[in-house]
Amino acid sequence: MNARERFHAMMHYLPRDRAPIMDFGFWAETLVIWQDQGYPAGADPDLFFGMDPQWAECGGIVGLWPEFPEIVIKDRGATEVVQQKDGAIVERGKFLGSIPRHLAHTLQDRATWAESYAPRLRAQDPLRFPGKATWAMLLEEWTRPDRDYPLFIRAGSLYGVARNWFGLERISEIIYDDRPLFEEIVATLADVSIAVLEKTLGDGVRPEAALMWEDMCYSGGPLLSPKLFRDILVPHYKRITATLRRYGVDIVIVDCDGKIDALVPLWLEAGVNTMFPIEVGKWGGDPVAFRARYGKELRLIGGVDKHILAAGRDAIDREIDRLAPLVEEGGYIPTPDHRVPPDVPLANYLYYLERAKSVWGRGLPNLLPTGRIEAALVAV
Amino acid sequence: MENLKTLYTAIVEGDAKTAKAVAESAIAAGVPPQQLLNEIMIPAMDEVGRLFEANEYFVPELLISARAMKWALEVIKPHLIAGGAQPAGRVAIGTVKGDLHDIGKNLVAAMLEGGGFEIIDLGVDVGADQFLEAYRTKQVDIVALSALLTTTMPSMKQIIDEFKAAGVRDKVKIIVGGAPVTAEYAGEIGADGYSENASSAVTLARSLVGAG
Repeated sequence: MNARERFHAMMHYLPRDRAPIMDFGFWAETLVIWQDQGYPAGADPDLFFGMDPQWAECGGIVGLWPEFPEIVIKDRGATEVVQQKDGAIVERGKFLGSIPRHLAHTLQDRATWAESYAPRLRAQDPLRFPGKATWAMLLEEWTRPDRDYPLFIRAGSLYGVARNWFGLERISEIIYDDRPLFEEIVATLADVSIAVLEKTLGDGVRPEAALMWEDMCYSGGPLLSPKLFRDILVPHYKRITATLRRYGVDIVIVDCDGKIDALVPLWLEAGVNTMFPIEVGKWGGDPVAFRARYGKELRLIGGVDKHILAAGRDAIDREIDRLAPLVEEGGYIPTPDHRVPPDVPLANYLYYLERAKSVWGRGLPNLLPTGRIEAALVAV
Repeated sequence: MENLKTLYTAIVEGDAKTAKAVAESAIAAGVPPQQLLNEIMIPAMDEVGRLFEANEYFVPELLISARAMKWALEVIKPHLIAGGAQPAGRVAIGTVKGDLHDIGKNLVAAMLEGGGFEIIDLGVDVGADQFLEAYRTKQVDIVALSALLTTTMPSMKQIIDEFKAAGVRDKVKIIVGGAPVTAEYAGEIGADGYSENASSAVTLARSLVGAG
């Protein structure tokens, strides 16, 4: 069974040889700190740790096109002020991986929407796809019958990107000050996603899943009330998921983040059926509890408490054993929740992987070995 | 008084224009600003906090109510100052060293201001020296520390330790909050209090300054 077949089987509760062994990456600092603990500098983490092939993404551009030019406005030493490609002005760390701080936004109101954003969100813009020859080459790869890795089609975002363009405070005001504008933006984003999906799927691509991005929950819950979510977003999610399902794409993943409890039933209602990543956090997000509450229609990715990885071997053993029945049931791919932080010793992470491969991976010979310095260095 | 009910409703419903207009007409009609603040505006924000705690309000509703409160406050603030009114307390707030995140901190600041506190916002990436400076020069009652990252949480302890080293730890209350911060952690590092969210920060601050 290859990674593509295994992903499909896992997400459809079909028989499979073992669970996919995947991660959700690392904080930038983590791999640097781990170099003092034996991690080869510059190595490919997937090769070093012996992960199954990650998914690849396919499709056209579902966001702004053309993007804004990225401009460094001010160098502040360890940080820099930058106009990002999405038009937001942010301060971001040069060396550390973290969420940038938003300072100002090009998108403010209906006028700036019409002037700077709507023209970058033309659904039928042919430049959302590469030239014919390149597209043909991509299609050939994506539709190759012997493709052995999972393929996810980019399906866009209805709230998350708009929140980044406006900033949280301004979008919250806009929702109340000019709700028709917010509704227009959401509808436009859905139109773009659907047009790009139609073209890609219409050209014969059959991905294992679709991937949306929202990042719209924090430690206290959603950034938008469930009522507004249902009234404004759900109808457009439904348009997108209906398009996907017409082409047989029935796994729709949303990069959600945070405490998602209040939105899970609404995403399910909208046809978005896979939450990624389940963050444990101080609110105790728990994939086992989510499954118990929502049943098999809800698929889950993540949910391994990253703090447990720092706590030691006994705690790691308990976490892996706790999640094993859910892994066995299916519809769930365990990964450390939202990237491995730098307080996790490399030795603990290696131990976690060994145990994960042994329990969730059933110790099968088709697992790649952990800590392959030679393989990792080949890629340097 | 009917007009003042409109001010209350405007703040609860996040109608900043109406809140400002009613505050202006109330001041013009001679309503004491202290009465407006204590009997109408702060109770309105308390109701917003209650709705937030009850999951009837979410971040957008909190923000637009805080904006309405701010617009009305801007109207009455000069009159409060002229009348020698004192805030419920002074709070120096900031995101700790190494951390650039400010959304949570801004929400807490807005709710505390709506709760009658004077806010000295030190911004982000704030070190112990800046908090100590604020304590010494602004006579703050409470220092509020925010962190989003597990890696910057230790800065909270460093700041508390610096207050101890400076011999002023018992002169000021220090409260902490942020996505990874817990009540247990607050206890471990010797903070005076921990708040789960922006709304409960007001209750906590009031209890610490004896204004609850």
